[in-house]
Amino acid sequence: MQKIQRSSKAARGTVTCDNTTMHLLKANDFVAESIRKRMAEQNILLLNITSSAGSGKTTLLQETIKRIGDQANIKILVGDLETERDADRLRAVGGDALQIVTGGICHLEAQMVWQAMEGLNLDGVDLLIIENVGNLVCPASFDLGEDYRVTLIATTEGDDKPKKYPRMFLTSELMLVSKVDLLEYLPFSVDNVVADARDINPDIDVLELSTIKGTGVDAWCDWLLQKVAEKKEAAAVVAS
Amino acid sequence: MHEISLIRTVFNTLEAEFDAEELSRLQAVDLKVGLLSNVEPTLLQNAFAAVTQSEGKYETATLNIETVPVEVYCPVCDKNSPVKNYKFACSCGRPSSDVVSGTELLIHRIHFAEPAAVRST
Repeated sequence: MQKIQRSSKAARGTVTCDNTTMHLLKANDFVAESIRKRMAEQNILLLNITSSAGSGKTTLLQETIKRIGDQANIKILVGDLETERDADRLRAVGGDALQIVTGGICHLEAQMVWQAMEGLNLDGVDLLIIENVGNLVCPASFDLGEDYRVTLIATTEGDDKPKKYPRMFLTSELMLVSKVDLLEYLPFSVDNVVADARDINPDIDVLELSTIKGTGVDAWCDWLLQKVAEKKEAAAVVAS
Repeated sequence: MHEISLIRTVFNTLEAEFDAEELSRLQAVDLKVGLLSNVEPTLLQNAFAAVTQSEGKYETATLNIETVPVEVYCPVCDKNSPVKNYKFACSCGRPSSDVVSGTELLIHRIHFAEPAAVRST
């Protein structure tokens, strides 16, 4: 099953360092651990929200701020290749958001999050949400130190996506099927997408969502508040 | 995904671990690349050629890429099974997302020419 790709020039190595474990994403993972530690110290729940472009991440976060912005102290970091548009949309509904402009990079790396956190006052914050760059490929490989990874899949994308992007669904705890108000117009089966996702990740939780009709938004907010409470309880146990 | 930056990371990693004299004898770097790493071996080879040529170093070195299949661990059977048809399950049928291989992205082996002092003895 293993396939070795060799370039045309054969190596004539006589001194070999064997079985090294120099992981190429080690630098990212090191910073991610630092973020995780800092979040634990400050009892902040950290979420990494991922999806394709246009599946409704920002719209969902706008709804989230409107519904529970007064029940939890929420800050948002939002990543995009260019423009401040998403942060502007979140601020327009009263959100405290900071834009990370990646300048063409297709994903957020832990170092970018760490640097952006310097620009946020995290005192008293309950929940820090990272809205990743819209992309189901590269963000999957980069740990940002999050407690949970949440992936949206819109009904307009088609129900065959989880197996096309297995790593993203493998590493997510919650899948949000968004734009379910369009189901009657689309050849999209929620049962199929859930079966596809659970072939990869049998433990993945699923919520159906329509921010336009309001479907599932309460369930999503309950999930968020419950996870915030669990993080604080866990911290209280450690402290006692 | 971002093969050029990964190749730069390979060189940065080597330069942090070895001194210039050792790296002047670099012959080959073997990478292990899991099928879930979202990295394409052909693009990685192209990126390796592009970076070595544009930076004018390690031009005689070669890159070998071993792709690693995806395997999951089943605690009931206490064994690993290959993932087939994107179904993350043991061969016994029990689902498992305990991935034990397939996400690798690491420098596995490094080949150097013998130092001149060793060669003369």
